[in-house]
Amino acid sequence: MAGAAAPGYDFGIPAAVSWGRRPWEDTIFMEQYRRIQTGKKGDIHLVAFKDKKILDDTVLDEIRSELTQLIGKASGPDLLLDFGNVEFMSSAMLGLLGQLHRKISAGQGRLKMCSIRPEIFQVFKLTNLDKLFSIHKDAPTALATFT
Amino acid sequence: MAQQLDGSAPARGVDVVIAEDSRMQARMLIRRLEEAGHTVRWGETGGQALALVRERRPDIIVSDIEMPEMTGYEFCKAVKTDSALRTIPFILLSTLADPIDIIRGLDAGADNYVTKPYEPEYLLGRMQSLLATPLESADDGAAAMLEVTLAGQKFRVKAGRQQVLNLLVSTFENAVAKNQELVVANQELSVARDGLQKSNEELSTANAEISRINAHMLRDLKAAAKVQRSLLPAVDVAIPGTSVAWRYVPCQSLAGDFLNVFRLDDEHAGLFVVDVSGHGVPSSLMAVTVGRFLTPKVSDQSLLVRQGPDGRVAVARPAEVATQLNRLFQADEFSGLYFTLLYGVLHLPTGRFDYCSGGHPPLVRVPAGGGPPEFHAMESFPIAFVPDVEYEQRTLQLAAGDRLFLYSDGVPEAMDKDRNPYGDDAMAACIAAGRTAPIEAGVQELLEAVERWCQPVGPLDDVSILGVEWRP
Repeated sequence: MAGAAAPGYDFGIPAAVSWGRRPWEDTIFMEQYRRIQTGKKGDIHLVAFKDKKILDDTVLDEIRSELTQLIGKASGPDLLLDFGNVEFMSSAMLGLLGQLHRKISAGQGRLKMCSIRPEIFQVFKLTNLDKLFSIHKDAPTALATFT
Repeated sequence: MAQQLDGSAPARGVDVVIAEDSRMQARMLIRRLEEAGHTVRWGETGGQALALVRERRPDIIVSDIEMPEMTGYEFCKAVKTDSALRTIPFILLSTLADPIDIIRGLDAGADNYVTKPYEPEYLLGRMQSLLATPLESADDGAAAMLEVTLAGQKFRVKAGRQQVLNLLVSTFENAVAKNQELVVANQELSVARDGLQKSNEELSTANAEISRINAHMLRDLKAAAKVQRSLLPAVDVAIPGTSVAWRYVPCQSLAGDFLNVFRLDDEHAGLFVVDVSGHGVPSSLMAVTVGRFLTPKVSDQSLLVRQGPDGRVAVARPAEVATQLNRLFQADEFSGLYFTLLYGVLHLPTGRFDYCSGGHPPLVRVPAGGGPPEFHAMESFPIAFVPDVEYEQRTLQLAAGDRLFLYSDGVPEAMDKDRNPYGDDAMAACIAAGRTAPIEAGVQELLEAVERWCQPVGPLDDVSILGVEWRP
């Protein structure tokens, strides 16, 4: 650390790293989307929803177009959706997930979901979609099932 | 300006002393004067400049007013009271923030004012005109004590005739210059105003257009709402051997919910509740489209009844209806919309109830013989969600006096202000409590209970309730 950072600007990043691949590069990459955060683990696309509430049609349309943009780039992608932030979700979101499921299945990809809180899981259960979708407790558990 | 008046060529190479305490302004002024071919000496204070003047007599002096040590007025007075220097033209650079500045300048013996901020060309013009009309030493004799009243104050000023004239001209020229600036500013303002007016007009036009489109859309919405109401049961729906009651409260003018109950033929009644995902125009358009297929009138479109080969009406099995609907509506055609459906056919003579659910909340039966309301859930996907699903159906044998309740998820999932759902248990308790009252009252009580639960904002989802009592 010694003397590498400008005085008063200690980001706690070792000098050797800061001149190489910066740790926040991923974060910058993620910011290209408004509604979703994206990352990659091997060939698996990771998507986390930024919104606490997915109720509004406008929010839904933006999520739809951002996911389409993401999936459009990959052929037969593996996709993990993380619902950890989501506290409320409209039934219309299920329709979007259904579209996504068909699209990904058609391309020989796999769609999995994780970190769905009980109130929202109830929405899946009421419509029996918990049996259609591959739903897991958390991201590590879900990622392990992709192999 | 002045040089245009006398028509003489600009004086080149005169000797100038400037007094200016701002280094930056001094540097700019020096550069400009030197570019015009003059020799410039610079004093940072009035005192320094006076020393320069005494060291070698300049042709003209340009001085700022606000300076430490010796102000421009004091510097000017020192020059003008020195008989050897008095005839050197003296230009004061003033902000002229106060009319008294003119008196002060006059009293100090200044020949000319240039108001700051100034264009260098303007100052050069002034220098030119002053140099063209040299101060007569004889003018000294004409110097007289003048009494001037300005802003309620009397001033006694000693000034020569030529000096007063020069100062007067410079003040006038300043005023003219400022006036021109004002005129230009006014023109710019006028242009800006015209632009603003144009923008305003465009805005008004756009607003009128929005109003027009809005009115148009409102008309369309009203028409659509009317079409949607036609999906609901007839007001005087009467089916022999049954009591029927229903409530339907859309949360917006257009709803994704709809329900109906009707006779299919002499022996059968059909009843359903449909809940299209989402709200508003897209959902209601899908509801209307779905509704066209769920009609008890024999037609090419009806999935519920068709003309049998023997000419009699054949009633379709509920599972077949759901499977057909799923085939007809695939989500992509409706940008991700889907719907849940509970459809049942009641055989009026026997009380046999065949039903099929497409991802819909459970059917509730209230047994006439007592006991708690039963929830009959079916595991199935919503319609238009998964392609090529074969839906299954169930059968309930009703006893005389049994009641069935069909509803949309807007009932059990209605949220209070803390977002707690009304819930299956509360719904069952409410339905059970109303079992001895007529079914009309029971259905009404359930609606009111949901609305009470959602106070103060009211339900955020469409609420549909359909109750049927079988009493052969």
